[in-house]
Amino acid sequence: MAKIEKLSGRKRDERIAGYVFALPAVGLLLAFLAVPIIYTIYYSVFQYQVMRPNDILFVGLENYKKLFSDSDFWISLKNTFYFTIVVVPVQCTLALVLAMLVSKKYRGVSFFRTMYFSPQLTSMVVISVLWTVLYNSNPNTGLINALLANLGMEPINFLTNEKTAMNSIIFMSAWQGAGYQMMIFLAGLQGIPKDQYEAASVDGATPWQQFLFVTLPNLKGTIKYVIMITMIQAMKLFTQPYVMTQGGPRNSTKTMVYYIYTQGFQKGNFGYACAVAAVFFVIVVAMSLFLQKVTADK
Amino acid sequence: MKRKMLCTTLAIMMASSLIACGSSKSSDDAGTEAAANTQGDMENAVITIWSPSDKESIENWWAEKIDEWNAEHPDMLAAREAIDRSDSYAYDNKIATAVTSNDLPSIFFVDGPQVSYYAANDIIVPITDYFSDEIDDFDPATQAQCTYNGELYAISATQSGVAFYYNKDLLKECGVDTDDLDSRTLDNPITWSEMADIAKKCTTDSYVGTHIIMDHGEGIPYALEPMYLSAGKDYISEDGTTADGYVNSDEAVKTTAYLADLIANGYANVDPITDEFLNGACATELGGSWDVATLEANADFDWGVTYYPVADDTKKAVSPCGDWSAAVSKDCENVEATGEFLKWLMNTENVASYADAIAKPATRASSYDEECMAAYAEGPRALFVEQLQNTAAPRPRTPSYATFSTDYAEAMTNIFSDAASTKSVDESYIKEQLDSVAESFAEDYNTYYAK
Repeated sequence: MAKIEKLSGRKRDERIAGYVFALPAVGLLLAFLAVPIIYTIYYSVFQYQVMRPNDILFVGLENYKKLFSDSDFWISLKNTFYFTIVVVPVQCTLALVLAMLVSKKYRGVSFFRTMYFSPQLTSMVVISVLWTVLYNSNPNTGLINALLANLGMEPINFLTNEKTAMNSIIFMSAWQGAGYQMMIFLAGLQGIPKDQYEAASVDGATPWQQFLFVTLPNLKGTIKYVIMITMIQAMKLFTQPYVMTQGGPRNSTKTMVYYIYTQGFQKGNFGYACAVAAVFFVIVVAMSLFLQKVTADK
Repeated sequence: MKRKMLCTTLAIMMASSLIACGSSKSSDDAGTEAAANTQGDMENAVITIWSPSDKESIENWWAEKIDEWNAEHPDMLAAREAIDRSDSYAYDNKIATAVTSNDLPSIFFVDGPQVSYYAANDIIVPITDYFSDEIDDFDPATQAQCTYNGELYAISATQSGVAFYYNKDLLKECGVDTDDLDSRTLDNPITWSEMADIAKKCTTDSYVGTHIIMDHGEGIPYALEPMYLSAGKDYISEDGTTADGYVNSDEAVKTTAYLADLIANGYANVDPITDEFLNGACATELGGSWDVATLEANADFDWGVTYYPVADDTKKAVSPCGDWSAAVSKDCENVEATGEFLKWLMNTENVASYADAIAKPATRASSYDEECMAAYAEGPRALFVEQLQNTAAPRPRTPSYATFSTDYAEAMTNIFSDAASTKSVDESYIKEQLDSVAESFAEDYNTYYAK
């Protein structure tokens, strides 16, 4: 307070203007994130059937107790971690490679940039429907299996075999998502001063050494940001299993968000779904803090 | 450290919101689509209606009827919004969301077996009084499906059914006697083994023998339930209180094993494409009554349809039924006007024109006297009407149907996927999956509905 009093009139006006400009964003954040989070935690201690809003029963930590002995919860958590652990490095590496390819100036580079980014412009629902057809197990109706059949190979049940379903979704997701990260990397790459490469070149650095000792250190901040947003996006995996596999086969693609959705909206167990969502929120925050810590500048 | 944690948490929240905005495109698109299919003015209407979006002829029917009503009743304006169903449970989710926000329209359409679920939870209100003098004109299966605890809670204009379609060109190519199939009657339908035999003969490099998976949601319990009934056990007890000893009974395991065997042998696709039969990708199918119109308009091959297959040992003929029914919601503010509208909407003439537009059998006997229903006097449509009048069995009436439907569809998808991957049928796995359906049902019923 004393500090504010010391501010000159202009500085005080600037500070007030700052708060006013921030107000809409903070308001929206509170309305659409903070309030739902508080409500989620509140409802998680009730037995609440979505169709019986007038018949809510306080059950304390009962939903949380049930959750820890619920095998579907653990399977969903395991699947979500598996997806995240695989898709984050795959997608980020792919995005970096693509960004480096399209960062050079050559004829037709704009075309490639557009092509790589174009899956981002299409709804994930549409992409998922398209890939469901591509992955179809019958060579007469599935394009990929038709190609395999032409090569004399046995058809693969991409989405209906528990061993391949999640990996098929990972492949598709990395393909779809890499374009967005590519653009972020591209911006990062274009911000690296050219003279650093020239100096490295004069010192006799090979292209690989230039990548290791010039590109990567300069991209450190960008890489951290890309990993963070990709991880959060991966943890929220929903559309692909919803459209392509409905969590199957044998729960192999059932993810946390999909599980919350089935519990809350399909079965109407709103209280339980809130408990799962609350625990999941804590896990995501913990993972993000962990990631922040391990990637922090020493 | 605290500041760091706060910053990170805020960053996560902001990133989450950005991603959420990015990923909401599909639902926005759906909303736009639905808005485009709105008839009347939802903002100023006294009577508001939600029903699943449908083909053009039905959307036109709604537009015409809403205009007709509004012209005659300017003080009781009606408006209808088409909600996307997305081949799964998307429409039901919309209802669930509206229930929590007390934002239901005056009338919303409910799939047959969900009537009990909504009625038991007081989401819909009885409409017995509006139809007491004409309910007998509606077919018994409709009456049964729409009644809960002795009260009528919903009413539908049309019925649906499932029967065995066959592509005569492909069957002849594979040496199957199509004249025999054409000559079958309700007293002499094909058996499961005959169906499997045809599917086996008709599985080639270019197409599979049959099609048994209608969709990934309610289509599975809907289309396959008569198999279980024909084998001797329904999914759920008649009083709707338990699934244990029913959906996981020996009869149910045997029935499921029969279906899984079709997948394991490659006679049916585990992930069939849309309109697989129409596209010539399968030789036969367990298809809906609505397919008749589609095939009449689009098929470039000779096709036929015969009655729903029966179990070899019991020979008991049973067929699916049930359709979307109109129900009055708890949030309806003008119950009198809504009741009057509903009574008008379901009159003989409107039921007939709706049935004609949607190409499904009408629920009212008197509607068949209307000129537009002449097509139901013979051919495939007449077969469906005959099947409905004699063998139709409504799906279980239980408040826990939503949980049952979700879990059963999931279990069957797991079983079919397992059969497709291993190319064999594991009965112990089937039993395990069906046991989990029964357990989940018991948990839901005992938690929310058992007294």
